[in-house]
Amino acid sequence: METTHDVPIWRRPPPEDTELSHQLEHERRQHLLLDPRYPLDIDGGVLKPMYRHTWRFWLVTALLAGLVLLFGAIWTTQMILGLGITGLNRPVMWALYIVNFVYFIGIGHAGTFISAALRVLKIEWRRPISRAAETLTVFALIAAAMFPVVHVGRAWKAYWLLPIPTQREIWPSYHSPLIWDFTAIFTYLTCSILFAYIGLLPDLAMARDHTIGWRHRLYEVLALGWRGTEREWANQETALNVFSYAIIPVMFSVHTIVSWDFAMAVQPGWHSTVFGPYFVIGALFSGAGAVIMALVLIRKAMHLEYFLRDEHFDGMGKFLLLLSLTWAYFYFNDYLVPWYGQEPVEKVLHQLLATGSAAPLWFLMIFCNVVLPWTTLWSRRVRTSIPAIFTISVLIQVGMYLERYIIIPVTLGRNEFPYSWGVYLPNWPESLITVGAFALIGLLYVLFSRIFPMIPVWEVYEGQVLQGLRRIGRALVPTKAEPGD
Amino acid sequence: MAEVQILGLFHEATPTADTIGILRQLGVPDEKITVMSGIPYRPEMLGRPRPRRRVALISLIGAGLGLLTGLFLTFGIFLLYPLEQGGQPITPIPPTLIILFETIMLGTMWAAFFGLLGENRFPVFKSQLYDPRITEGHIGVLAEVEAALADQVESILKDNGAHHLRRETSSPRRTDVRLTAFWATVAGAVVLLGAVTLLIAYDVLKIRFPTNMAEQDSTAYLQGPRRSAPAEAIPIQGPVLIDGQPASEPVPASAESVQRGKELFSITCAVCHGPAGDGNSPLSGFFTPRPVDLTSTPIQDLTDSEIYLVITQGRGGMPNMAENLGPAERWDVINYVRTLAK
Repeated sequence: METTHDVPIWRRPPPEDTELSHQLEHERRQHLLLDPRYPLDIDGGVLKPMYRHTWRFWLVTALLAGLVLLFGAIWTTQMILGLGITGLNRPVMWALYIVNFVYFIGIGHAGTFISAALRVLKIEWRRPISRAAETLTVFALIAAAMFPVVHVGRAWKAYWLLPIPTQREIWPSYHSPLIWDFTAIFTYLTCSILFAYIGLLPDLAMARDHTIGWRHRLYEVLALGWRGTEREWANQETALNVFSYAIIPVMFSVHTIVSWDFAMAVQPGWHSTVFGPYFVIGALFSGAGAVIMALVLIRKAMHLEYFLRDEHFDGMGKFLLLLSLTWAYFYFNDYLVPWYGQEPVEKVLHQLLATGSAAPLWFLMIFCNVVLPWTTLWSRRVRTSIPAIFTISVLIQVGMYLERYIIIPVTLGRNEFPYSWGVYLPNWPESLITVGAFALIGLLYVLFSRIFPMIPVWEVYEGQVLQGLRRIGRALVPTKAEPGD
Repeated sequence: MAEVQILGLFHEATPTADTIGILRQLGVPDEKITVMSGIPYRPEMLGRPRPRRRVALISLIGAGLGLLTGLFLTFGIFLLYPLEQGGQPITPIPPTLIILFETIMLGTMWAAFFGLLGENRFPVFKSQLYDPRITEGHIGVLAEVEAALADQVESILKDNGAHHLRRETSSPRRTDVRLTAFWATVAGAVVLLGAVTLLIAYDVLKIRFPTNMAEQDSTAYLQGPRRSAPAEAIPIQGPVLIDGQPASEPVPASAESVQRGKELFSITCAVCHGPAGDGNSPLSGFFTPRPVDLTSTPIQDLTDSEIYLVITQGRGGMPNMAENLGPAERWDVINYVRTLAK
């Protein structure tokens, strides 16, 4: 005789009561973790799309690769001809490259936050989305780390960043925020890669067990011999916990230090003590939007409808709304104090944004970052509508890109000396390099998604085993078992 | 005594736990049983002892190493090779805290990763008894028992619902040479990289870094009289700075240079300072103060680079002559002015 405890979760029969049975059906449609299936089907659902190479895939890959090659060609041209071919000129010497740097670092924040913070807080709907988010973090950081090198012009001197006294007679000083930046980004990038890899190990073993040929050999090497023994799981859990708790403060430090690149300068509009937290929230805001976009795209392209459901977009939408509110709060702080102080140069900056030539950018930023999320994201129907949440996320990217654009080249165009004011307009090299950087992230993401499982299968299994429905009175209520520790 | 490994797969946690209990009663010790699963089951779910966890401790050690690295980078290097910057302390505390935070976190996380690899004996090179169905949701129980017990253990597994039984004769336990070789290679590569970096840094391996410093149009006019480097400063190759000398190499005071300087002087300077350079010119009466007497001792006592600074930037009522005289021409003029000394 079989008791229900001996039956695997995907084979348990529905309750005989028709009303409860209907409720069960409803809950299963709503929640991935209450909808267990035969594990081989789930494995297949993740692995099969990795083999799909339709003409659309090749078209997208070719297009992105072309743009990345263009990036390389223009960067080479810029190295030969010098930064003079860009629109950089006095007084605006930091412009689109630095905007991209800040923007892409920002994108790199949400992945870790979703993965680490939601893990620490034991928020269950994170399970299927953590891999897509972590991957976005890594690739966005790689793109971001390139931009200081593109920006300084003489890229072949990048080794000057090494903090060792050498015969080149000069080395970086730790008094400089730019060196804090280098240290923080190095820490964050390498640890994000390791964090993603540790979570990937069981899935690499899964892929190894279900593939043949070169993929099998690749996964065999990368899985390092993972068998899922108790010791392996226990050590993996400890390592993931260490990473989760350690990488969150590092994430905060990274964008705080990026903000100090600006705030440590005595430049009107930059010299603000609230810049640190304000930048961190802005980074999470644009990053969460970017994660939603990535989820929508891989769900569509790889047919992951089983894994990525309304509940995930609903949760991410709420998160986005919360971040929009917080961002507005910090922006108001950053705006109000200079407005109250009425320093002449700050007045000039505020007038430039409110009624001057930068007004269209500023109002579009306010619309995308504040008006749009506040008027739409309170509604569950909007949050769970894929086209709507995708559009909102794209517009938030526009808004947050504009925010960085306003902070950097627009603000730099005004200073205490009216004779040295100026206006920066992007020239073709930096514009195309920007497009190429977006293409680079897209290309890496597309290629990665065909080689590595984009859904953490073991986390989904684990959630399905731990979650269940408990009958309270006439209703079935989702419950979660939270064993030990 | 030959040992055999027996692997059986179960569908669910409950029968797995029951079977493990029976095996334990039979006298199979806990350390001879390995449970493999596609998801992390808690030890208490399967009635198993808690595995040893040392990764957290290892990451703590990593944090300590990170702290030491950070202290070396921020304090050590700058105490060994001071880098003076505008009155700031060589090792300021607040920026140091930022670097220390990052290196501590870096050490913590890297150590957690390598601790994970080390504690799991990753990467595994030798073949292990395993079944790919474990990543399909099955739970594998691997018992390592003496050959005499093998049949009994196998039937216990079978009776409790295990399927797909596998049996293999154990190879004698010994450290895998390939694993040792792998880590020795990794450690060797790290040591080699560090050693090469230090050899380059301390000039044992000489690479001529393209610094462009020697090729630049260095004029030193913003720097005034130069101080020689402090005794403990980094060694400098190339042109050495000497007290009172400009950083750039001025045009030597040859007869040709003085001749050129004389012509340039008559065109650019004489209109105010006078053809003899004594400050008497038809225009000099119109200026207050009057153009200085270039032959006087206070002027002749200036260093070359100070005169260069005045020509380039102007001073007081004198406009700058940078657009009239190129850098080499300014040195010609200085060479000529030196000949005017009383």
